[in-house]
Amino acid sequence: MPREEPPPERKATWSVRATVGADEALAEARLAALRDGGPKRARQWLRSHRRQALLFAFVAPSLAYVVVFFAYPLVYGVTMSLEKMGFIAQSGPFIGLHNYNEEVHDPVTGKALVDTAIFLVASIFFQFTIGLGIASYFNRRFFLSGFLRSLIIIPWLFPPIASGTIFAIMFAGDGGIIDETLHSLHLINSPIFWFDSSFKAMFVITFVNVWIGIPFNAVLLYSGLQDIPGELREAAALDGCGAWQRFRYVTVPLLRPVSLIVIMLGIIYTVKTFDLVIVLTNGGPDNGSQLMSTWVYTLAFQNFETGQAAAVANMLFVFCMIIAFFYIRATRREVAIA
Amino acid sequence: MIRRVTMRVFWRRHARRFMLPAGGLVITGLMLLPIYFTAETSFEPTSALQALSQSLVPSHFIFSNYRVAFDVEHGSIITSLLIALGAVVLSIGVALPASYGLTKLGYLQSRAIVSVAIMVLLVTQMVPGISLTLAFYKLFLHFHLLNSIAGLILADSTTGMPFATLVLRAYMGSIPVELSDAAYVDGASEWRTFRSVVAPLAVPAIITAGLFVFLFAWGDFLYAYTLTAGGNVTPLTKGLLSFFANNTVNWGPVLATVVLAAVPSGLILSFGQRYVMGGLRAGALKG
Repeated sequence: MPREEPPPERKATWSVRATVGADEALAEARLAALRDGGPKRARQWLRSHRRQALLFAFVAPSLAYVVVFFAYPLVYGVTMSLEKMGFIAQSGPFIGLHNYNEEVHDPVTGKALVDTAIFLVASIFFQFTIGLGIASYFNRRFFLSGFLRSLIIIPWLFPPIASGTIFAIMFAGDGGIIDETLHSLHLINSPIFWFDSSFKAMFVITFVNVWIGIPFNAVLLYSGLQDIPGELREAAALDGCGAWQRFRYVTVPLLRPVSLIVIMLGIIYTVKTFDLVIVLTNGGPDNGSQLMSTWVYTLAFQNFETGQAAAVANMLFVFCMIIAFFYIRATRREVAIA
Repeated sequence: MIRRVTMRVFWRRHARRFMLPAGGLVITGLMLLPIYFTAETSFEPTSALQALSQSLVPSHFIFSNYRVAFDVEHGSIITSLLIALGAVVLSIGVALPASYGLTKLGYLQSRAIVSVAIMVLLVTQMVPGISLTLAFYKLFLHFHLLNSIAGLILADSTTGMPFATLVLRAYMGSIPVELSDAAYVDGASEWRTFRSVVAPLAVPAIITAGLFVFLFAWGDFLYAYTLTAGGNVTPLTKGLLSFFANNTVNWGPVLATVVLAAVPSGLILSFGQRYVMGGLRAGALKG
């Protein structure tokens, strides 16, 4: 069997070769089919595609993993959401869209949805702007810049539950460091109990999430800024552009693709937030700081309403898939170059 | 007048030298302040009344917080280590051949399939874990994987495996095809080419992917929390939460546990900096 010659040039010559090769194989297979019928044809196909078949064997384990641990659970999630289902049972009676109906009209779900949306917008806004500020600051080379840049990513590498614990202790109502500091600066007279209202609880959760997300934004935006050739800004300066105009008309448009990717990844990470809520507020007070993710958890593992939990989880999933769609569209150029 | 001009020239020349590093220090310091206070307080005698000391240097330097933390959490640390290492082995074990297969299929006439596969992997990274864990709970209940290290390895690899495949594939695409083709011409089988030519060349990417998979699994809380309910397998993240929730008397040992939980991130940052930065960019931008 003649082996496939690797093309000398990967880009231009490819499509032509591919078509010619495909046509030949097809013609051969047709001829073979006419001559001898089924089995031989199959053997011939297998022989001419031996290498592909072998390579599929390399991919097979990961395909199996994706099917078992992604495809199947997601399909199972859909069927669960359509059934009346408790905590232990593997399935229950079919009740159509009843769970969805129930959840859409549940005030806690509504509040969780609104809170998640506000949490999302606020987190992304502050992560991105502060991250961009830090990235542009470090975009100039100076003594220690590389070292400090590498230190800044630490919060992102921390287990979120550890960061959450740190801030839970810092925000403690009496004796917490934030309280003490505000007190010694005479900004407050009595301790603030950060976790006794929905608003304050959501504020703390958002604050911590921004802290965790800044490094990620800063690092990716920094590499985006580094990819912008300095000549462009120089040219703009020569043409009489001020600092703001250079930022507005050179940096912003050229940073757009990276920004889009960073924002979309930020949305995905933020919408998955679970650990922080559990350690900081556990969804309280009175379900006042439930996000969609923790509400799914509460429904399934505390209220034992797995069907309803699955319904909320699927809404969250659909939202993530919409973001995923835009993400893939934005990175499609890279994806296409297989 | 002259003086003012010379001042300005001086300023312009030297501001960069002094002001930029100073500002950089301030920014970094502000970002890391919570971590600094945590580390500092973990070496101090503490009580509930003084939750985090405001002093920058410990007044008494003690290790007793760490002794308490170790006594309570040593089992969890071992559990978490086993889970994280298991997830690395499973994820890399599956991702390495897959990325080789995908890279090679891309050179044959299967580019559409490869694009679809990469798209699927990207999408799996976007699936919220909470949507999966409901089904995992039922599945694991059925297969007796709840409260087991094996179960958590399998679940944690949902974050690790797609990421590792994407990083490895992006890297293998940059290894010249001629190398593996030369092996092929010399009569090496596909498996041999993979094992003796491509895999050794991909070691830097394997390290990057491995480090990240380790960090993902080490820091995982969602699966640790939902798939071990009521059992005796307690990863460190879950152990930290219950330690924190049950310990309102003295934060010192809790903060020491936080520091212990952060040790792998610190190690990876100091020894694997290059790989971390590479992985961050590859995972996010190259797909």
